Amino acid sequence: MSTASEVAIRFDQVSKAFGPKQILEQVSFEIARGEIVFVLGKSGMGKSVTLKHIIGVMKPDAGRVFVEDKDLSALDARGLSGVRRRCGMVFQQPALLDSLTVMENVAFGLRSPEFRAARAADGRPELSEREIRDRVVEVLELVKLDASILGLTPPQISYGMQKRVSLARTLAPGPSHLLFDEPTTGLDPITTQAVNRLIRELSRKLKVTSVVVSHDMACALQIADRVLVLDQAKILAWGTIPEIRQSREPLIVDFLSEALESEAQLAREPVGGTAGPEVRA
Amino acid sequence: MKELGKLVLFYRDIFRTAIRSKQNHRQIFQQMVEVYSRSFSTVVFAGLFVGAILTLQFQMVLADYEALSMLGGITTSACVREVGPLIISFLLAGKIGAFTAAELGTMRVTEQMDAIECLGTDPLEYLVVPRFIAIVNASILLLVVGLLVSLGGSVLVATLTAGVNPLQYITSIPRFAGMDVFAAGMFKSAVYGTIVAGVACHQGFTASGGAKGVGNAVTWAAIYTNLYIVLANFVTSQFLEMIGHLFGGGH
Repeated sequence: MSTASEVAIRFDQVSKAFGPKQILEQVSFEIARGEIVFVLGKSGMGKSVTLKHIIGVMKPDAGRVFVEDKDLSALDARGLSGVRRRCGMVFQQPALLDSLTVMENVAFGLRSPEFRAARAADGRPELSEREIRDRVVEVLELVKLDASILGLTPPQISYGMQKRVSLARTLAPGPSHLLFDEPTTGLDPITTQAVNRLIRELSRKLKVTSVVVSHDMACALQIADRVLVLDQAKILAWGTIPEIRQSREPLIVDFLSEALESEAQLAREPVGGTAGPEVRA
Repeated sequence: MKELGKLVLFYRDIFRTAIRSKQNHRQIFQQMVEVYSRSFSTVVFAGLFVGAILTLQFQMVLADYEALSMLGGITTSACVREVGPLIISFLLAGKIGAFTAAELGTMRVTEQMDAIECLGTDPLEYLVVPRFIAIVNASILLLVVGLLVSLGGSVLVATLTAGVNPLQYITSIPRFAGMDVFAAGMFKSAVYGTIVAGVACHQGFTASGGAKGVGNAVTWAAIYTNLYIVLANFVTSQFLEMIGHLFGGGH
C-alpha cells in the first residue's frame, strides 16, 4: 500500500451502472505517482468508464474517486477543471481540429481560458506567442516530430503523426497524469510499437503517472508497471507483470496467449514494412 | 415535446454562454463568410423565382379585377411578410442547418469536443456560440439579399408578361408594403434564423454513435427545423397581427 502522498489516483468502492447494466461494482485500487498502469478487459467492461471517472466527466453511483488526495465528488466545477488540467487525456482517435494547423492544435490548451486563469491565479504572466511556439516545438520534439509540420493541417499528415500530434497537444500544458484511451487502436504493428515506446519514455522522462486503457496484453507486457484487468464489473486481476503472468484465470490466460501470438507475429514483420508515407501530398 | 424541452434548455445554455464569454469576432466573421459562401447563390436563385412565381399568381387574379396597378405592392407585401422569410429559411435549413449538424456531429463522435473540454475550453463557447451568432446574422442579411432579388424577378415578370410599367410597379409598393411590413419580415427572418441555428447546433452537439449518429443528427435537424419554422410562422404571424392592432395600424 502506497502512502497518501505517493498515491496519484484512488478508487474507493466505486460502482457505476447504465440502466440495468452494471459497469463497475465496488471497484477499489490505487495508482502510485509515476506508475504506468494498463487497464485491460473485453469491450464494454468499464475500461473507458474508469478513465472518465478519473477525469471527472462521469460520476460514480456509489463510492469515491480521488486524484491527488482530492475527492472528485466533493469538488465544484472550478475544482474539477483544476483536476482536469492536471490530467491530460489522449483519446482513441487523434481528435484534432481539422480547421486548425498543427501549431494551433498543439497550442490549443496553452491558449485556453482555464490555462490562462490558472497561470493568473498562480501569479504568473500569460505566455507570449513566442513562448507558446517554443513550448509547441518542445513537445513536438518529445513525440519525435519536428517543427516543419507546424503549418500543416491534420488531413495533410498521416494517421500515425496525427496520433503523436494529439499526444503533443495533451503534453503541452504540462499534466501530472496522462490518461490514454486505447492509444494504439487503428495503428499498424510497427507504429503501435513506436507509440508504446513513446508512452514509456514520456512517463519516465516527465515523471507522470500513466493510465492506459487497452485490450492489448502484448503492449501491457512491454511497458506496464502494473495491470488491472476488469471483467463483469469487477477487478479480475491487479498486479505487476510477473503476478499477471502467473494468473490462471481463463480470461487472462487467453489475453496472455494472444499477446505471445502477436509478439511472434511482430518478430516476423519486416522492419518498417507497414509504415506508410508520413506526410501526405 | 421532450425534444422541444431539450432545445429550450440548449438555447438557455447558448445565451448564458454568449453573455458570460468574450466573443471571438474573428471566428464569428469566418462562420458568416462560410454561411454566405454556401448559401448566397441558392438564395439568389430562389429569390428570383419566388418573386417571379408570386407575380404570376397575383397577376392572374388582379387582371380579372383590372387592378394590375396594385401588383407591385401586393406581391412585395406577400413576399416580404410571408413567403420570402419562409422559403429562404427552408433553404438555409437544408444547406447551413444540415452542414452545421454534420460538422458538429462529426466533432462530437470523433471526440474532438471531449478533447477541447479536457484542454480547458468550453465547446459550447468555442464551437456553438460563434456558429449560432453567424447563422442568425447571416439569415437576416441573406433575406435582404433574397428580397431584393425577388423584387427584380417580380419586376421582370410583371413587365414581360403583364405589360406593367416598372416604375408603376415600384411606386405601388409603399401602398401595401410599408416599413412595418419590412420590419415584420426582418423579425420573422431573425426568428427562423434562430431556429435553424439552434436546432442544427443542438442536433450536432448531442450526436452520438459514430457515422450513423451523425446521419441521424442531420436528418433530425432538417425535420425539426422545418417543423419548428412552420409553427413559428403561425405564432409570429399572430404576434405581429396583435402588435399591429395594438399600435392601431392593423396590417
